[in-house]
Amino acid sequence: MIRFLLLFSRQGKLRLQKWFTPMTEREKKKITRDMTTMVLSRQPRSCNFLHWKDLKIIYKRYASLYFCLAIENGENELIALEVIHRYVELLDKYFGNVCELDIIFNFEKAYFILDEFLMGGEIQETSKQMVNRSIEASDMLQETMEEYMSKPAF
Amino acid sequence: MSDVVEKTLTALPGLLSLDSQPGSNKLSSSSKLGNLIRGITELTSKHEEEKLIQRELTSIKEQVSSPNTSMRQMKELMVRAIYCEMLGYEASFSYIHAIKLAQQGTAREKRVGYLAVSLFLNESHELLLLLVNTVLKDLQSTNLIEVCMALTVVGQIFPKDMIPAILPLVEEKLNHPKEIIRRKAVLALYKFYLIAPNQVQHIHNKFRKALCDKDPGVMTASLHIYLQLIEENPEGYKDLTTSFVTILKQVVGGKLPMDFNYHSVPAPWLQIQLLRILCLLGKNDQSTSEIMYEVLDESLRRAEINHNITYAILFECVKCIYTIHPKSELLEKAAKCIGNFVLSPKINLKYLGLKALTYVVQQDPKLALQHQMTIIECLDHPDLIIKRETLELLFRITNAQNVTVIVDKMLEFLRINKDDYTTIDLRMERKL
Repeated sequence: MIRFLLLFSRQGKLRLQKWFTPMTEREKKKITRDMTTMVLSRQPRSCNFLHWKDLKIIYKRYASLYFCLAIENGENELIALEVIHRYVELLDKYFGNVCELDIIFNFEKAYFILDEFLMGGEIQETSKQMVNRSIEASDMLQETMEEYMSKPAF
Repeated sequence: MSDVVEKTLTALPGLLSLDSQPGSNKLSSSSKLGNLIRGITELTSKHEEEKLIQRELTSIKEQVSSPNTSMRQMKELMVRAIYCEMLGYEASFSYIHAIKLAQQGTAREKRVGYLAVSLFLNESHELLLLLVNTVLKDLQSTNLIEVCMALTVVGQIFPKDMIPAILPLVEEKLNHPKEIIRRKAVLALYKFYLIAPNQVQHIHNKFRKALCDKDPGVMTASLHIYLQLIEENPEGYKDLTTSFVTILKQVVGGKLPMDFNYHSVPAPWLQIQLLRILCLLGKNDQSTSEIMYEVLDESLRRAEINHNITYAILFECVKCIYTIHPKSELLEKAAKCIGNFVLSPKINLKYLGLKALTYVVQQDPKLALQHQMTIIECLDHPDLIIKRETLELLFRITNAQNVTVIVDKMLEFLRINKDDYTTIDLRMERKL
């Protein structure tokens, strides 16, 4: 099971955080700090897997963003790496050539996609189309003529 | 879906919304969130950031408590509050408004409200009870998007004590004509099973129906529950082995729609779940294991493409083969696989190879000896993680001859890496 997913920049700024088990705010902050320190200090050509307490941390860097995933001990590390990759592919398909700015300024959309893709710490094996379609359907639905006529809030 | 419909669906958001970028709604530069983010990135000190955020939070607080704020404005305020919380600042005054937004907003606002709730609150928060009513209402809505949103939130965060209230509604969604709702209902039940297993006991036969669902997505979702159930009680589910084997055969044989391919590998996560389940079912049980040999052989053969995901599947396959009742041909092929991993120049694969060796070394000590040169090389690998895995492996193949050398290497490693290594330490002492 996946315990948490964090996205942060090369300077350690948090861009996205998703926790799949209940945690106090203090614990979350500490974990975020630990993760950023650990991952940012890794050499470029080293293994993408780390040990931390009783969990395994899988991380991967895409351009200026680090994706960091924590899995429980019995899980397969390589598949977790592919989970990260799949998420990036989904983001890419949705935003069209995604970059860090897309995720920074539209983080709630990144969350919506994540929620369709991972639920309760497990991946939902749906086709790529399915995830995109459900996001688009939700996006589309809300554009009633009324909203179209008036100015968007943001 | 046909091509034409597909194209129309993708084009519609662009046509309808004012934000016409493909798929995304790029923020205009005059938006408040955009300004906030830009403001933060321009600052240089933590102190200044604090000041800016506090100002922002005060402004948000004022606006959320004002009776004149529309739901649309509230949505925008919530997004900013989420952003502030993400940076580490507390915005608990906004929690109740998030719930209100989920209750009263239109679908788009509701979505942000639910998102905010799932990010702000935790399982034991007192405000969660207020959410339950909203969720109950949305589950019965005729608008399918609202049902989906409610099920998603239920799968993420739900108070244990209120499960009986919502269980019948979720159960009935298992029979819904739309597969996305069936899938989310299964996942919500999975979550219930994790937090309160005895509440969900009576609906086990419904899971069986989900397992045979014609939609692969729903079927995969049911596997999560089955993995848990089988972990706790493998005996009770041995009769399902043939079903699992059949499903795996079909997946590996490419019978699923092309949609489910990930880099030309059919439904890899599904394959891995099934392999794990088969592993648990076949352990220490010859007759059950015999049912699986053919499909394991097939999986090993098919996973030949050079991609991380195929290696992941191979790893699970190998693990499965070594756990269930042994069969020599399969063991040979699996051993060859492990060899390939360990000898691979790719560092992630080496790691997996070492891990696999550690797993199998009890049953097949010769395999480790075969690769001992590579293992010795790994000891001096610059990457600490590889070193640690090698030490774990070496520890298991210690015998009277090499114990001194290995202990020396371990002590050296402990000197440079002051981590939580007490486990190895203790084991060392016991052995000596």
